[in-house]
Amino acid sequence: MKKMKLKYDRSAYLLVLPYIIFFLLFVAYPLIFSLVLIFHRWDIVTPMQWVGMKNFERLINDPLFFKSIVNTLIFLFIHIPLQIAVALGFALLLNSRIKFRSMFRTIYFLPVVVSGVVVTILWQQLYSFDSGLLNRLLMIFGIPKIPWIVSPEMAMPSVAIMATWKNVGIYIIMFLVGLQNISAELYESSNMDGASRVQQFFSITLPLLNPTIVVVLVLSTIGGFSLFIEPYVLTGGGPMQSTLSAVLYIYNQAFYFNHMGYAATLGFVFAIVIFAVIMIQKKTVESESLE
Amino acid sequence: MAVHSIFIKAMVKFLLCLTLLFTGCSEKNAHDASVTGDVITLTYWPAPNPQEVQLADSIVRSWNRLHPNIQVKMQPIPVSQSTEEVLLAAIAGRTTPDVCSNIWPGALAEFTRLGGLIDLDRFADFDSAIISRTPADVVASLRDPNGHFYQMPWKTNPVMMFYNKRLFEVSGVTGVPRTYSEFYAAAKNVTRDTDGDGQTDVWMGERDIRPIWWQRWFDYYCFYIAASSGKTFFINGEPHLDQNASATVLEFFRTCYARDYFPHTFFQGGDPFLLERKATHFAGPYLIATLHSLAPSLRFGVVPIPVPDGHQGPVYTYGDYKNIAVFSTTKHPKEAWEFVKFLVQAKYDLMLLQIANQIPIRGDLLSNPIFAEYFKQNPLMIEFARQAVYTRSVDAAPDLKEIFDAISQEYEASAVYGKKSPMEATLAAQKRINVIVEWNK
Repeated sequence: MKKMKLKYDRSAYLLVLPYIIFFLLFVAYPLIFSLVLIFHRWDIVTPMQWVGMKNFERLINDPLFFKSIVNTLIFLFIHIPLQIAVALGFALLLNSRIKFRSMFRTIYFLPVVVSGVVVTILWQQLYSFDSGLLNRLLMIFGIPKIPWIVSPEMAMPSVAIMATWKNVGIYIIMFLVGLQNISAELYESSNMDGASRVQQFFSITLPLLNPTIVVVLVLSTIGGFSLFIEPYVLTGGGPMQSTLSAVLYIYNQAFYFNHMGYAATLGFVFAIVIFAVIMIQKKTVESESLE
Repeated sequence: MAVHSIFIKAMVKFLLCLTLLFTGCSEKNAHDASVTGDVITLTYWPAPNPQEVQLADSIVRSWNRLHPNIQVKMQPIPVSQSTEEVLLAAIAGRTTPDVCSNIWPGALAEFTRLGGLIDLDRFADFDSAIISRTPADVVASLRDPNGHFYQMPWKTNPVMMFYNKRLFEVSGVTGVPRTYSEFYAAAKNVTRDTDGDGQTDVWMGERDIRPIWWQRWFDYYCFYIAASSGKTFFINGEPHLDQNASATVLEFFRTCYARDYFPHTFFQGGDPFLLERKATHFAGPYLIATLHSLAPSLRFGVVPIPVPDGHQGPVYTYGDYKNIAVFSTTKHPKEAWEFVKFLVQAKYDLMLLQIANQIPIRGDLLSNPIFAEYFKQNPLMIEFARQAVYTRSVDAAPDLKEIFDAISQEYEASAVYGKKSPMEATLAAQKRINVIVEWNK
């Protein structure tokens, strides 16, 4: 019996071994290595140099890192409500009985599967101040041109609009699933009670979509914190560092200036910030659910 | 018996031949070994661009002909994102060549920190070799904070102002601007809407408005060196930004952008100087060949970088220096040093001009008869030769890329967008430079 159990255990270990190897190589090792890096200076090519807490000292005096975190929070502040509103709006439309519904669903999902770099280059052309399609359209209607990505004030909202366009498809699908799980009987009975469409939306649809909204909120927040491709390709973090996201700044420190140790320190602190925000979000959502 | 005797004789002859054969071979081998033992082989890495490879090939052939016992093997620097990264990796892996002639002074601090280079002032004739060729103040500017010299000044590309003669003429600009006031006055006439559609078509100048660190060499930094009469960012290894010069330069560019003499956007569809959509351009001598080949009808001139009103003394500028260094992995430092001196001879400096259109860092360019014919045939290069002795490089400071990034960010905020006053931007740049330098200590 004992022998059989041992044999059974061995085959179980063998089955999980590929994942264990993957985990050790690509999760545990980089994680431990990045923790070691925090206390070193390393430019990839030359040997590591112990610097103690020097990376943290620099971080405290680094206004760019704090600016990049504020920029990321500004992005989240614009992007998340916009994402939820647009996704919910389109989901409601696609949930109604309209012609070519399947085709529209496919069209809205297309940007999700297109490469982020391709989408960003496309939007770079659209946003061009002098020759972009958006400004040409505005000029046809006699509206002054908008400095979409060349003005420090407009650049981050422009990035948020583009990111919303890119990702909204996936959230539309999520909201559609949520909407289709709401029983039609609820709407029928409320109709009989004389409820208007608006009343139905706020009293039935929205409360019952709450679990989906929470999922969308958490996923958007995590996605928003990892904002990188859009500012990297579209603006390079400018103008005036207004689109410099935290991940882009960490990337620049690591691969542009070859400051691996400092980048690891920034990443460590940024991970704490993300953890704190997610915890606050979780607590808020939990307390609202209890209420 | 006869048969036996013939056999014996044949055997003796065979053994004799065999002996002679072996003796001959062994003598040949011995001779070869002594040659291999006597011949020193040096490895030399020039820049990988075709002109410099051609130049290096010619020089190495001459050297090898004249020095049969010290042979140089030329191998262009392996192509990568940057020469500095390749050299850094080579230093770390101890695979550096004996000599390299593409040393950017900005990377020197890192190379010496890792012990990658040997000091050249250890050689008794260093002073005479360097001073006979290079102006004393240029030599002084290349001295390491530890007092030693790790680089032999070789060539520079002084940044000067190219101007379009036709655009100046049609705008009624008679004199070429030398000061900021003169630049503004010319810009007021030159910058205009030529087709009456309400959009400006021709500008006085244009710069890449993105905060790309090395772009500042062609606007802020060359103007800063000019305004400060030849200062750089460091003195004896410590950051020392000339705040007044920095603020003055930022004010100049801020005015150019505020008055729309420079556009706030990118040009699409070609180089605006070639297309005659901007009247001035800041670049090194390499642009001359490009302009001659791509726009043969373009009439242009070259003058020093504009300076603040009332500026006294010579006008300095930034020169993109590339120098020669000997790496610490060399087993033959004396021979490597001899080769370095060979590289900087006047006849090879002439070849540098002829083949690569780059300016050797030597004080006698316009007085040495060897160069006279070249300058007669290339009169525009005379301006660069005059300027060459008034050039400054970047400092041999750690993290120079990030230091210029700090400058770029403040330049963008103050000059391009006018969101910070020039002095505020200068102080912010100074603060970030201090943090970077402190972190590197």
